[in-house]
Amino acid sequence: MGTLVTIHVVRDGVEAAEAISRAFGWFHAIEERCTRFNERSELSQLTAQAGRAVPVSAILYEAVQFALLVAEETGGAFDPTVGHRMEARGFDRNHCTGKRIRSANTQEDASYRDVQLDPEHRTITLRRPLTLDLGAVAKGLAVDTAARELEAFTDFAIDAGGDLYLGGSNQHGAPWSVGIRHPRRERELIASLRVTNQAVCTSGDYERRDHILNPRTGESAGEVASATVVAPRAMLADALATAVFVLGPLKGIQLLNRVGVEGLIVTPDLECHETGGLRRVA
Amino acid sequence: MAQSGSSKKIANSLVTASCAGVLAVYIAGYTRTQQAAEKFTAQIAERRPVVHDPSMPPIPEPFHKPEHDRPRAAAPAKKVPAAVAPKAVEVLPADPPGPTPEAVAPPEPPPVVEQKVVEPKVEAPPVPVWKDGTYTGWGYSRHGNIEASVVIEGGRIASAIISQCRTRYSCSVIDRLPPQVALRQSPDVDYVSGATQSADAFYGAVVAALGKAK
Repeated sequence: MGTLVTIHVVRDGVEAAEAISRAFGWFHAIEERCTRFNERSELSQLTAQAGRAVPVSAILYEAVQFALLVAEETGGAFDPTVGHRMEARGFDRNHCTGKRIRSANTQEDASYRDVQLDPEHRTITLRRPLTLDLGAVAKGLAVDTAARELEAFTDFAIDAGGDLYLGGSNQHGAPWSVGIRHPRRERELIASLRVTNQAVCTSGDYERRDHILNPRTGESAGEVASATVVAPRAMLADALATAVFVLGPLKGIQLLNRVGVEGLIVTPDLECHETGGLRRVA
Repeated sequence: MAQSGSSKKIANSLVTASCAGVLAVYIAGYTRTQQAAEKFTAQIAERRPVVHDPSMPPIPEPFHKPEHDRPRAAAPAKKVPAAVAPKAVEVLPADPPGPTPEAVAPPEPPPVVEQKVVEPKVEAPPVPVWKDGTYTGWGYSRHGNIEASVVIEGGRIASAIISQCRTRYSCSVIDRLPPQVALRQSPDVDYVSGATQSADAFYGAVVAALGKAK
């Protein structure tokens, strides 16, 4: 994931240290299966076998299954098969090694509909050659499983490069306060949110411009400068933040309302759109 | 500001699916994290031996292996303050996990594990008392480094500032964090979504500065 991961357990101790180390173990396990930047990862092995029903691990199966569910719910605004288009735009390097990864024989018009799941045998079949990108879902899944590992400690925070999960309360016994960066003015936050037992994910166009593409057009999504989603799971929040980027503010808010989560969308001209239940810091 | 939506919502199947998916992975894949977790703990122990306060209850044996491939309940009956707790690691490819019945192990040599321990977040004394003076420390992130200067007066944190900002992005986005250090008498500042690495670097810088004030 190329991401610095920080875990903070409010009342930590020896037992917390054990759980924290297990939580980090999840990041390793999920990264090594779901990255497209390592040609030896399980995901890369899968994409090299188009046309075959490939038995996969529970981690990869659940990540792909959830990505496809979001793709269906968003009508393809979020599409895990956007990978080859991202490669075409230069997002093709392993962050750790700098090595360039290129998928062979991917078809430009492939979509999530070309991915078939068999829950009984836990296999995945790519009907056509395509490149799966599970970046948003995999990082969220790692945060969520780590959070599950720390659940017993009640009050904790996990931060994985913009994907946050805030459990319980902060060290002062109050809900966690999360600042949302202003997408244009570096000196400001655009909002601060109160969060407890929820994930917060922000996708902004300020750090890696053009890293979110419209799967339908292959072009960079441009209607949104920053999208923040607050949801029960980071996997969901991250995927929806990506979808909202593509859908734009109005359809994005409609999507968040339909799914039942909260969010804040900022347009390039700094118009803010938010769901009704967003808890801002007063 | 445009607003829409309702504060009362009914979560749809996507919320349920995300919860179910996480649980399925957690249950099915728990043992595969065990190896990485044990390795991580061993490395931590090598670098930072845990200092046990004799006034505290005995430290439980770490890593009782689960009897089967199920998640182990991690609920602590009591929470023991520790002198050392791991805070962060750089996530890099890990050793492949041990074989499991459902795993598809790609044929690959084991990659190298690199784990970087950042300063512990909580110090053992419940009410830290620092020596008066001005102390500086550096915090590090992928986007660059931040130096914090912390002023201690009367054994308490009087103020904290960002004295040097050498990050790729301006430190102004975390302007509101330095006052929190004196307010909370602690390096535990807020998280800033969208600037998490700068916030973490500042946190690390304050921890390093306070470490010199003991």
